Amino acid sequence: MTASSFRPARRPGFAPLLALVVLALAFAWHVSVGARTIPLPVVAEALLSYDASVFEHVVIVDLRLPRALLAAMVGAALAVSGALMQGVTRNPLADPGILGLLIGASFAVVLVVGVFDLAAPALIPLVAALGAVIAAMAVWGIAAAAPGGAMPLTLVLSGAAVTAFLAALVTIANLLDEQSFEQLRVWMTGSLAGAQGGVMLWALPWLCCGLVVALAIARQVTALAMGEETATGLGLNVGRVKALALFAVVALTAATVAMAGPMGFVGLVVPHVVRLFAGQDYRQIVPWSALAGAGYLLVVDVAARMVLAPVEISTGLVTALLGAPIFVWLVRARL
Amino acid sequence: MSAGLLIRLDGPVTYALPVHALTVLAVLLGLTCTLVVASLMAGSYPLEATEVVMTLAGRAPSDMAQTVVWQFRFPRALAALAAGALLALSGATLQNVTRNPLADPSLVGVSQGAGLAVVAAMVAWPELPQAMRPVLAFGGALAVAALIQGIAMRRSGGATMRFILTGIGVAAFVSALTSAFLTYGQIDRALSALGWLAGSVHAAGWGEVAVLGGALLCLAPALVMASRPMAAMRMGPEMAVGLGLRVGRTRMALITLSVALAAAAVAMVGPIGFVGLVAPHLAHRLARCGVGLHLALSAATGALLVGAADLAGRLAFAPVQIPAGLVTALIGVPLFVWLLLRTQARASL
Repeated sequence: MTASSFRPARRPGFAPLLALVVLALAFAWHVSVGARTIPLPVVAEALLSYDASVFEHVVIVDLRLPRALLAAMVGAALAVSGALMQGVTRNPLADPGILGLLIGASFAVVLVVGVFDLAAPALIPLVAALGAVIAAMAVWGIAAAAPGGAMPLTLVLSGAAVTAFLAALVTIANLLDEQSFEQLRVWMTGSLAGAQGGVMLWALPWLCCGLVVALAIARQVTALAMGEETATGLGLNVGRVKALALFAVVALTAATVAMAGPMGFVGLVVPHVVRLFAGQDYRQIVPWSALAGAGYLLVVDVAARMVLAPVEISTGLVTALLGAPIFVWLVRARL
Repeated sequence: MSAGLLIRLDGPVTYALPVHALTVLAVLLGLTCTLVVASLMAGSYPLEATEVVMTLAGRAPSDMAQTVVWQFRFPRALAALAAGALLALSGATLQNVTRNPLADPSLVGVSQGAGLAVVAAMVAWPELPQAMRPVLAFGGALAVAALIQGIAMRRSGGATMRFILTGIGVAAFVSALTSAFLTYGQIDRALSALGWLAGSVHAAGWGEVAVLGGALLCLAPALVMASRPMAAMRMGPEMAVGLGLRVGRTRMALITLSVALAAAAVAMVGPIGFVGLVAPHLAHRLARCGVGLHLALSAATGALLVGAADLAGRLAFAPVQIPAGLVTALIGVPLFVWLLLRTQARASL
């Protein structure tokens, strides 16, 4: 990396505008396709002059719009948290799923909803955040204690270990209580279909907090990505930046798990694609990841609904099918 | 082989009899027998140890005991033992070939490949006879193993952690495909596939035992023959070449053997995880010995492990049965972490 990364941020040109247009198009496409395709003019009409007596308008506003919003928010949050993790841990393979945060949050939610029967929507993001923090600490602690320290390899392996352990516990909890298992089964594969308004509302503050913190520390993360010595030499309080990054990552992950369940590999794929054109400056990477992640998950969700229509695949399965080959490619190319 | 008894034959030949390892093996087999009796006794219809022994000897005290033991508990216990032995042998072989202590058929996607093939068949062609399952599982597992080999081995010789990381990625991909099959398939077929996927021996009958035992009998001689090249492979590719081994061909043959062992077990009882990781390590810590005896010790440990896991899963939350695969995962992960903390991860990969 050279000093060019620390030039003042490029003056925004056409690119952000173009990205927003593309995102809006993806959004509109997502809203228009489904069991019954609704033409784009009707979509625009439903948004601009809503008429409760028109069937299509009701479908769009009550069913499709919340799902599209959810896809965009979850995609943006996961991509940003993946980008931060990759920068702070200096690990190209970092992702909330691979490093155990998603399963930690899911385990906590399954435990609280299934075993203790507390399903208050206000509590779920908090519980998910606690689970994510504990899992992240466990994964990091194991990797840091291993010989060689927290390298990409040890991080991924300890993430896989924690994931296997918690996944077995989740399955056992589900077997012991089949009724809540029925409710949680679809959610556990990462689905945008069953979003409830209450949970979404309570997860939103977490998501916004996470995004704001991520944008605020983007400059420091760029320095941290060059190595801790360099960052300290540049006058950075490394511990504080890491703590803030952990907070942002956990808040974003918890919000997505509460809304849509564990959705793997989004945080891995999107930042790597973004780096291809946005360079190494996290002031660019973080906002671009948010935009690209939102667009990516919108398109993936359309695919999940369309490929085997009328059967719908869980969106989390599609992101895994797309992301796992990229993971393998990264192992080959970067390690 | 240090603590062995030296046997002098006529002439210049001496043979070090590994007394310690053989003792350990005998103890393990004794424990396995005890475990079998214990698992025949326990359940919703409890039996006394004497009743169990009498039933096994052909003089059942009651018709109920006869049915419970011979129809349900005995085949189930035998299936658990055989599956454990197969998975342990598979893991031990894989670890020797890749020279990687963390290699395990369920971690690197071999089990998942077998699972995908079987689930696809269960959902798409439910009328397929059960006897075809091991073949399908073998095909799926072999395809995944070849894929990982192809991706991971091309650079840097392959005796590295890259194999594991690639396997983790491929395993994620294959599991997602399997889940997609489950959502796409009809619900009743999907449910039967789902129960199988958790890795459970609860439905095992004499048919499963026959296939598992047959696989064990067929593949054990191959393993005996393979133990010598395996010992050479364990010393590293350069040394193996120096010893006159065709390394590439041997590696392929041994990995195929390992895949076949895992596939037979997975086809019958589902992917029971971490046995292939845990058993060879326990065996290694119980007794230091040559490759051949280590394989036998691993098989005994694996059998004991899965048998105990099945018994524990059966009794812990009765009447709900926890699949043995979940119990072995709960045991295996802490051991995996411990190994991770001890293994010198090569920074260069």
